[in-house]
Amino acid sequence: MVATANLSRSDLDSSSGSDLSVSSRTSNRSLRVVEKERRKNEAGDPFLLALKYFSEVEAGTPCVGNDVLERNLVQVERVGLSRGLPPEAISVMLDYAMSLRMGGVMCVRVLKFLIPATVVPQEAVVRAVAWLCVSKMAISTQVLFLKWVLTVFDMIDSKDHIRAIYGFIFHFVTEENLVFRPFRVRKLLDLQTKMGRQPFLLLVLSLYKVFCPELVTLALPSRMRSGFKNHNSTWKAALSAVQKRNKGQVSSDISLTLGVKHKTDSRKRKYHHLEVPLLSSSVQRNSPSSSSRKVFPLEQLHSFPQLLDNLHRIELPSQMGSLLGSSLALCYLDYVQDDSAFLRLNFWLGHALHEEFLFCSGDGGSGSSSEALHLLNRLLSTQQFLQEGFSSSEGFLYKFLNVWDGSLLRPQILGLLSDIPVVPSSCINQLLFEPLVQLFFTSTLFFKCSVIDCLNNMLSKWLTWHSVYALEDGLDISLHSHTPMNMTLSGFMDSVVELVRFVGRLAAVGLQLEGCHSLLLSFILDFYETVCDMFLKYGLPLVVMPPVGVFYPALFATDPVSVDRLGYIMYRYKKNLTSAKCQQQETKQAFHISRQTYREFNHYLLFMVSCLWNSKMFLPGMAIEVDQELLALSKVPKPWTSFDLIHHPAFLGYAFDFHHKCWPERKKMDLNSIKAGKHWDWYLEFLFSQGFQGLQQFVQSSITRWSAAGTNDQGQGDRLSL
Amino acid sequence: MIRRIYLTSKLNDAVIDYFSLSRFQLHHGKARCSKSTSCCCFFSVMEERSSIVKTPLNNVLTQRRSKSYRRSMRSCVEATNLGYTSGHLTALRIPRSRRTPKSRDITKQVDPDQVALLVTKEWELSYVTPLYQFRHTQLKSYSKHLSAFIVSEKQQGLAIEVGQELGFKVNFSVVLGLAETDEDAETVFIQILSKHAFAAKDDAQKVVWSGWLTCVNGDLEYLRSLPSEFVSLPLLCTRGPESLTVLVKSWFEKTFDCCFGPLGINSTNLQWLAALWIGCHPTINIQYLKLVWTLPTLPPMDVKYTIHPQDAWELWDSVRQDDTTDVSIEEVTRFIKGLQSHFFRHFRIELSAGSLMQVSTALGSSHHSGKIKIASPTYITTILQLLTECALLKMPI
Repeated sequence: MVATANLSRSDLDSSSGSDLSVSSRTSNRSLRVVEKERRKNEAGDPFLLALKYFSEVEAGTPCVGNDVLERNLVQVERVGLSRGLPPEAISVMLDYAMSLRMGGVMCVRVLKFLIPATVVPQEAVVRAVAWLCVSKMAISTQVLFLKWVLTVFDMIDSKDHIRAIYGFIFHFVTEENLVFRPFRVRKLLDLQTKMGRQPFLLLVLSLYKVFCPELVTLALPSRMRSGFKNHNSTWKAALSAVQKRNKGQVSSDISLTLGVKHKTDSRKRKYHHLEVPLLSSSVQRNSPSSSSRKVFPLEQLHSFPQLLDNLHRIELPSQMGSLLGSSLALCYLDYVQDDSAFLRLNFWLGHALHEEFLFCSGDGGSGSSSEALHLLNRLLSTQQFLQEGFSSSEGFLYKFLNVWDGSLLRPQILGLLSDIPVVPSSCINQLLFEPLVQLFFTSTLFFKCSVIDCLNNMLSKWLTWHSVYALEDGLDISLHSHTPMNMTLSGFMDSVVELVRFVGRLAAVGLQLEGCHSLLLSFILDFYETVCDMFLKYGLPLVVMPPVGVFYPALFATDPVSVDRLGYIMYRYKKNLTSAKCQQQETKQAFHISRQTYREFNHYLLFMVSCLWNSKMFLPGMAIEVDQELLALSKVPKPWTSFDLIHHPAFLGYAFDFHHKCWPERKKMDLNSIKAGKHWDWYLEFLFSQGFQGLQQFVQSSITRWSAAGTNDQGQGDRLSL
Repeated sequence: MIRRIYLTSKLNDAVIDYFSLSRFQLHHGKARCSKSTSCCCFFSVMEERSSIVKTPLNNVLTQRRSKSYRRSMRSCVEATNLGYTSGHLTALRIPRSRRTPKSRDITKQVDPDQVALLVTKEWELSYVTPLYQFRHTQLKSYSKHLSAFIVSEKQQGLAIEVGQELGFKVNFSVVLGLAETDEDAETVFIQILSKHAFAAKDDAQKVVWSGWLTCVNGDLEYLRSLPSEFVSLPLLCTRGPESLTVLVKSWFEKTFDCCFGPLGINSTNLQWLAALWIGCHPTINIQYLKLVWTLPTLPPMDVKYTIHPQDAWELWDSVRQDDTTDVSIEEVTRFIKGLQSHFFRHFRIELSAGSLMQVSTALGSSHHSGKIKIASPTYITTILQLLTECALLKMPI
């Protein structure tokens, strides 16, 4: 109902795809379509016949006992209330009603079912206003008509002519509010003093508050009755029902979004720092230019097309904290990249977080309230939406980690933590690692898992930023050269190396503490799945191998899934290292992956192959060396075979299964017979068919097979040359 | 050395002769009984919490990471700007030493009438994040808006035209000359006057609320890092009914997109204040030094400890290492330790186990909960500088 002519138009434009039989438009093209259709259906459609009746009916025709009239009226009413009336029907019916050709009673009845299906033609309204001026209409009917206009205001197709006659409309009811002038406000305020606090006046005044906050100030009571009741509500209900049925994208939200606080709980907090402020326009007009320019307050923004149409004249709200609640506003924020705006938002957010969790000035409780939870969830979803963390939440986390008990709002805090931007390697230890280490080693298994998961997310976000911004660099325009943050590629790599090493340390000790728990191992392997692909997936020339404390527990894990994933990780490491090597040879420089990394990889690879494939273990010179005499004491027969693919505790079950399938009649189990000849191949096939893709990729990429003189198939790990 | 000791103990309905045993010179030894309040516990908890929070890392203005990140990546590709420039993650540090208070006749720079408004009253302290688009030239219109806002908030649901004559009158004024450096914004003083409905035209209006926003010797690095649209007046002192304070704060929040929070003065800062006031003794007689501790007994016990100024000065003089213009935190701690050990010798009560709640001298008084009274204009800047510092340390970024 506000002067948002082009808004609703844009809304409507966006919906031009909706089905034409119902939503014919006023534009010529669609009129023609309607015309054609009408001619086609002329004979049969009773609705069109009814319309024809109303457009041609003579003035003074009696309405009492007029069966034809009644039949036609019911016809149109039914359509109106079920599907909504097409524009030209609105036009005909409005003209019929307002001309009072059959008296005021008919007029009221018609107005009540005048529910537009799509738009209301402007001409119809103008003509109706003209009737309003000439005919002797009852006051109540006049009011009804004006209320109808207000209800469907957003659906009027264009409003330039209507603007011209605002004066008339304003003359009839002072609750019209379409051009903002101080004298109008004053008039309304006068009315207010005369009539007291009428809800509809408040509604209008609150609109003024949106558009010219410098003229009027108003505190809305927390519970307010909706402004225009009675008729509007039935219209609105009918209208929304029709719109829902038509499934048109015409989502003109006719309910005014008033700044009424939705008090969810009655408990009053002494401090309101957790309340997200309401969107409201700023009282101060920033610059002289903006006062002459038409601004578009964010409060009025309801749809994305609206945002696009008004992108150049959107005004930021008076309190940036209010943006947190609206994804549309956040879209805009992301677009404007306004430093001050971000700073304001950060001040608000930082203040709320500090007060709640660090200064604890709330109710004395430390943020366990549902409000705190709500705020953090909202913050999280905002950061996910913007795909970046706020610097104030980052600063807050660094402080909060030192006092956090590790359980308060854990998912939220860890979620925020994974959003923090790249931390320079010089301070990463003090800011992040020290507090985390303390929490990690003193907490439960599940906390350990969630910390590893959080750090994995953090790493992949860092890497994604790198891959996006480093590649897009040519397109990027230097916007704000005064920001102190400045990080070079080597600085970034240092940070990543620090992070990966840190997680390596955590993982190794964590696995030991928790007895190589497979859940923890699974999260750790998740992390290394990110790490092993840093070069190929994210274009970061860096390869870091897992520490022995992670590699061996994964290799000797009792569950086949972990071994399989280790196989996949090794396969990806190999891919990354090989292509890094290729690139290094081609470009002759650029970056350098240390020989040590290759050496570590080869070492792991050889060990894995000889252990899983060649049944060689505990030999001198290998990573795990056990004194032969000690082994003999253990009385394990052929100890060197105990971790090959057949005897490995993770695969033993599969080996049994396979054995049983191969030799169902055998009474005595002889697993070693699987090693011989074709059975080994079949066994491998069998394993791969059980879903061990990682193992398959590892075997196919890293093992060159050659037949030794004996029966056993020997494999050789494909080392990478240094 | 200690001439007089006042003791107050908060114990439930039991006069303890423990203190009135008075083996020692207890002139006005009295034991007052009052219900212990949970409030004391709360503060001590708060103290602990906030002391754990280490030096805040004020990465002022690292606003948007992604942009800066993008830029950083460019610089590495261009290979012009190698090396990570710090400045990111700079911290506002808690100072370990301060200048000795300089006696300064503030009335030479500041209008004496305005100074009179500030001194000899007790103010409640809050901190404020920087004000967005605050202009010292717009104070008139702020007056109008704030008064309209107050009236409309008081009469929920009645729209108020801005600029109309109302029951309240708000005055904004600048207190020129209180700022010390160029970066300090000038102090703003706000008064709310109320009119009686039936008062005659020339009746004097009654001041119902007053408050001021100030910044004295604020951290230069911090202030410079703020964009020009922001004005930092981090310290708010208020006096008047709580309801009006809330309204004024909420108007500021809505208009300048800032946030308020309570500003307590922690033990360390109270000790600083004690030392600063003692340091003034040679020039102005401070008459007495009164310290109040709360001990975490069950129920909590308050200990009032009053020291003769001359004794205090002698102790202070003895712990001062040299006659430099700087006072270090070590000296302050030693001074307080000296007072505490003296007390312990007499009463066997370890004051260091409790927390310092209140410090007062004839020059002024200050309370842990964030109340301050400055009695003499002479050292006002020193005090305000300390409070500005406390307020800036509370800034979220």
